[in-house]
Amino acid sequence: MSTVRPKANPHAGLPGGRHGWRFHLSVLLLIIPISAGPRFFRDEALFFGDSGLGQRELGMKAVGPWHVSVAEYTADAPIDQGLAGHMKTFAIRWSPEDADRIKASYFRIGKPRSLRAAGVVLSGSPYRQTVDVPIPERAVPDDELWLTVEGWDGAVHQTAIPLAEASPATVAWLKERGEMR
Amino acid sequence: MQATRPARDKKKASRLWLIIHSWLALPLWIFVFFVCLTGTIATVSQEIVWLAKPEVRANRPAADAVPLGYDAVLAAVEKAQPGVAVTYIARPVKSIFALDVGVTYPDGRSRSLFVNPYTGAIQGVGGAFDFRYFMRALHGWLLVPFVGASNWGWYLVSALSIPMLGSLVTGLVVYKKFWRGYLHPRLRLRNGARIFWGDLHRLAGIWSVPFIAIMAVTAGWFLIQQILVDNNVTVSTAGVPPIVAREDVPAEGRAKAPWISLDRAGALVREQFPDLSFDFVSLPANAFSHIVVGGRGAYPLIFETANVNPYNGKIEWTRRVSDRSALELVTESMRPLHTGDFAGLWLKLVYFVFGLLLTMMVFSGMMIWTKRTAQATAKLVRGARTGRALDAAGHVGEAAE
Repeated sequence: MSTVRPKANPHAGLPGGRHGWRFHLSVLLLIIPISAGPRFFRDEALFFGDSGLGQRELGMKAVGPWHVSVAEYTADAPIDQGLAGHMKTFAIRWSPEDADRIKASYFRIGKPRSLRAAGVVLSGSPYRQTVDVPIPERAVPDDELWLTVEGWDGAVHQTAIPLAEASPATVAWLKERGEMR
Repeated sequence: MQATRPARDKKKASRLWLIIHSWLALPLWIFVFFVCLTGTIATVSQEIVWLAKPEVRANRPAADAVPLGYDAVLAAVEKAQPGVAVTYIARPVKSIFALDVGVTYPDGRSRSLFVNPYTGAIQGVGGAFDFRYFMRALHGWLLVPFVGASNWGWYLVSALSIPMLGSLVTGLVVYKKFWRGYLHPRLRLRNGARIFWGDLHRLAGIWSVPFIAIMAVTAGWFLIQQILVDNNVTVSTAGVPPIVAREDVPAEGRAKAPWISLDRAGALVREQFPDLSFDFVSLPANAFSHIVVGGRGAYPLIFETANVNPYNGKIEWTRRVSDRSALELVTESMRPLHTGDFAGLWLKLVYFVFGLLLTMMVFSGMMIWTKRTAQATAKLVRGARTGRALDAAGHVGEAAE
């Protein structure tokens, strides 16, 4: 035991010392917004419709006498929405001639049994409507995406798009899910 | 020795608080500085746009001009741009701003139009780059894309509420008798950089106590909120979103069934809820959706909305202050308290000034460290190199207490 007590360091415990430069390392966190920037602007362009109806446009589809453009909103696997299950977003656009004749449009994975079970109703302006389509627990890669359209004149028309065409990413995801079970 | 013990303990405790205070923000100071600065800009981003773009201003054509009703605005827009689909009309809280009219063009692009509230003239069109949203996204989640409702950038930013609250509490503990600073403010300019930054840090700190507390608590709520969302927990009493009953939708016709007028919808809502100000209206998004009329009521922090059946004018759903639980009144007040957008321009400017002060707190804290701790410790390390072992023992002893 030393009898001479050394003068206590007044800065003991405080950050600093010879490695002070380390306290500026948080500047590296700014790489996050810089690297996320391009994706952010791509997403904005998609959101405002500047880069089209969706990331993967499926082109014009005939539904009875009407014509509708369909797109996969983002070209990736379904998103886990918690209690609501997995969701996949699709978008449609009506031509100005047909827009006023359409009462409602619905998407469903698998053939609907009736108009009451036509699926989820699309919402938004007729020139750009989107909806999150739930992926059923029993869905398989061979399923089809069904679009049911109800006209103001009372007519109901349907069209089916194979999932392989509507969303290859969803098909890949379903295959993976099937293998895990 | 025994007699001096309590005083020494007190000193050591206060020293420990200073050590904690120093470690809370310093290792992340550039990140904290960035978040505070972008937040400060975000709070006045709408005003910055107002300064930069004359077309977003509500230019009054004559002193006695009266604002148009929503139907007149809708008609003016549809006349000027035939074929567009209007999705909403919003009257900004601050009357210096033009109306914000959301439209979708037949090619699928959606835009925000700046419409003169007195003449209905379209003064300008917002682009796909929205400065306000960009600043919000940069500040709030570092532009990290959302996956569903999840965003890890959101966690990084909102987690800063913990060191911020910690800095506030430890700062007040370390600053002995801080209340004296209110009566005897001290900002020494000529005693060197260390003294200046120290005085500024303390002075700005005590005057920003309520502001920092609001920011830390509301940001802490954003953290809790995201944790709840990611774990499927909700405090909402809103229930299932309302839809128009199928039997209310006119069955037969060649084309779209007509909606009641927007002003009529507003008047019907006003009949039932006289204190609701009619600040925005959103048009039905499909045949089964409502005209939504909304605005601020007596409690300015929360928007109240009423859903009006577009075919028969019945008010079928309301979301008013009185429809919310006490918990929701607290949680839904968090965002407006954080952004300061509920009382008008003056509050925005108050938030901006305190935001700058808070940003300076981060910077001055770092400067104090640079000027004092870093240099002095380096000196001490040089001087004490010979007796390093002894000194190190002192370090460990001090830090451990």
